[in-house]
Amino acid sequence: MSETPRIALKAVTKRFGAETAVDAISLDIAAGEFCVLVGTSGCGKSTTLRMINRLIEHSDGEIHIDGQPIREIDPQRLRRRIGYAIQSTGLFPHWTVARNIALVPGLLKWSRARTRERVEELMDLLGLAPSEFADKYPAQLSGGQAQRVGVARALAADPEILLMDEPFGALDPITRESLQEELRRLQGRIRKTIVFVTHDMDEALKLADRLVVMRAGRIVQQGSPDELLAAPADDFVTSLLGGRDRGLKRAALTPVARLMRRVDAGLPVEPAVAPDEDLRLALSVMLWHRVECLAVVDGRGRVCGSLHLSDLMRAGI
Amino acid sequence: MAVHSSSRAANRVLLVLGLALLAALLTLDLASVAPNRILPGEGVSLWAWLGPWSASVWAFPLLVMAFAWRGSARALVLARVVVVAALALLPWVLAAFAASRVPDASSQARVTLGAGFWVLLFLLLMCWVELHARLRHGLWLVLLPLLSLGLALTQGHLESLALIREYASRSDAFHAALRYHLLLVSAAVGLSLLLAFALALAMRRFPSLRRGGFALLSLIQTIPSLALFGLLLAPLAWLAARYAWLGELGVQGIGWAPALIALVGYSLLPMTRNSVVALDGVDPRVVEAARGMGMSPAQVFWRVRLPLAAPVILEGIRITTVQAVGLAAVAALIGAGGLGTFIFQGLGQAAMDLVLLGALPILALAVAADSLLSALARLTRRQPGREAR
Ligand SMILES: Nc1ncnc2c1ncn2[C@@H]1O[C@H](COP(=O)(O)OP(=O)(O)O)[C@@H](O)[C@H]1O
Ligand SMILES: [Mg+2]
Repeated sequence: MSETPRIALKAVTKRFGAETAVDAISLDIAAGEFCVLVGTSGCGKSTTLRMINRLIEHSDGEIHIDGQPIREIDPQRLRRRIGYAIQSTGLFPHWTVARNIALVPGLLKWSRARTRERVEELMDLLGLAPSEFADKYPAQLSGGQAQRVGVARALAADPEILLMDEPFGALDPITRESLQEELRRLQGRIRKTIVFVTHDMDEALKLADRLVVMRAGRIVQQGSPDELLAAPADDFVTSLLGGRDRGLKRAALTPVARLMRRVDAGLPVEPAVAPDEDLRLALSVMLWHRVECLAVVDGRGRVCGSLHLSDLMRAGI
Repeated sequence: MAVHSSSRAANRVLLVLGLALLAALLTLDLASVAPNRILPGEGVSLWAWLGPWSASVWAFPLLVMAFAWRGSARALVLARVVVVAALALLPWVLAAFAASRVPDASSQARVTLGAGFWVLLFLLLMCWVELHARLRHGLWLVLLPLLSLGLALTQGHLESLALIREYASRSDAFHAALRYHLLLVSAAVGLSLLLAFALALAMRRFPSLRRGGFALLSLIQTIPSLALFGLLLAPLAWLAARYAWLGELGVQGIGWAPALIALVGYSLLPMTRNSVVALDGVDPRVVEAARGMGMSPAQVFWRVRLPLAAPVILEGIRITTVQAVGLAAVAALIGAGGLGTFIFQGLGQAAMDLVLLGALPILALAVAADSLLSALARLTRRQPGREAR
């Protein structure tokens, strides 16, 4: 990579007393990349994340942001440049939603008008109607709403970098999935550099451009979800990826459009899948209907191609 | 009864209280009348005063019992009307009694409140508290009886009460003592708040201070107040003799100086403990988020930690204030003045009404401080979503 990475960790180590929580890890994260740290609990993910905004000082090695060592940046100034969202949201219970979101703009002494405009923009962006939610207090929100406010707060001053520590960890599966979906869409629009910590492999596979698997303070393997699924480095990564279940996990990452034949084979329009649905779903539909090929029907209800089980087999999905 | 839901069941507490009220009215002396301050009074019961008209007074407890028997929410509201009315009428009953027994208010004759009156007042307040716990609150419930009492007092209807006579003969001294009492209490609370806050901050920064600090503060707490005054006497006298400017400030072995030191000493434990618990109790994830967003340590403290700790700290101030109002009375023994003076004078002269002249305002001050500071704590605690409890 010729460009300077947005975030670069060079042999970064963190020791708590005699215990080494993070052991000489090196990692480059490019601008606009969605990087997910994944691993069993206690392996040093949060510690790594919190070293990036200097909530924890690293013991050894160097961390650079846009080529500048973070030790040279005043920690408060650094943190105001970096969005931070955590599991329990950490919203201030004595502040309204609007005031919580306006926290960092306030610290940066934005004008009142600019702040108000930004808060409303963000609330719209995250699907929180300002008229309904601006004056509510965190205790009046559902878990999903509170987490949206947490993300809005992290994005308030339009930071280049967003650090997220298991932000959806405390939510029920349905809310969690819809927030993951939304975060992915949001990222498509705002293109931040995101470092995201989770211990949930499905979440990691769904969100990551780059997956970084950690174990006991070290990086075991990194790469795109596809690369990892195709060639896990060792048994640990394999089992983390779901062991023998990973065929389906990989299928879940591939859109139907990638393997469909762009000809109308004259198949019945039912059963069918959409081009942007994933192959795992397509397999499930084939199983259910006991067929080996499906029509692919686009959003306007037109048949635009067909999907064949034999193609899936040949592609090695 | 069993067919009714629990809210319709008879209120047993109120039934018993009503019964006790009736018994008190029937058996105890309401007040006694004495020709002057020296001679003992002669007790007068309700029946001796009103004869068959007593029945009009019995109506109150009987009504309360009837409503308690019904037990429905509506009946309890009516019971509360009766209780509040009784409390509001009480000063006027006394006024009527005084007018009938001491027709010439300018004479030396006086009415001393008897056991019957105090039991009556106590039982009515118990009824009030019982109903207060079950029904929606309203300011008029407190204001009406107080306004009624104020009116009776300012209109001069209660002049021949012994208590009022004691007040009239030393009203200047009373006001001075009241002011002094308030000054002593506020100085003690203010000083101990500052000290306790500094201590709490130090203990949070240096956790090793905690054990020793709290052990010392608890030790102070266990010394009886009189013993503490005694312990302070010699060192303060020595200091005052040694440093002239201290003496000029009025620092002596007795007087305000040891009183203030003792009050502050007793206040430190509850105040420090509540401050430490409050500051420790703030959700660490909220603090982590605050730091992670780029707040400076000072901003984290003043904008997040302190506001979130405020209700518990205020609770400490409340406990301390109520405690100091009472303790300041004992300080009168070492010449610190205040309302306690009347209590000890009255005890010395066996003049119970003089004791009351000191004790009743202290009680009132304690209750007022308690409810004021509780209200304030509720206000700071009010985070919507949890309001309206
Ligand atoms: N402030 C701290 N003091 C001492 N040890 C810590 C601290 N923070 C984390 N650790 C230790 O570092 C290791 C990694 O923790 P963490 O980064 O939180 O793991 P996770 O991957 O679950 O986020 C754990 O063994 C934890 O006990
Ligand atoms: Mg963690």
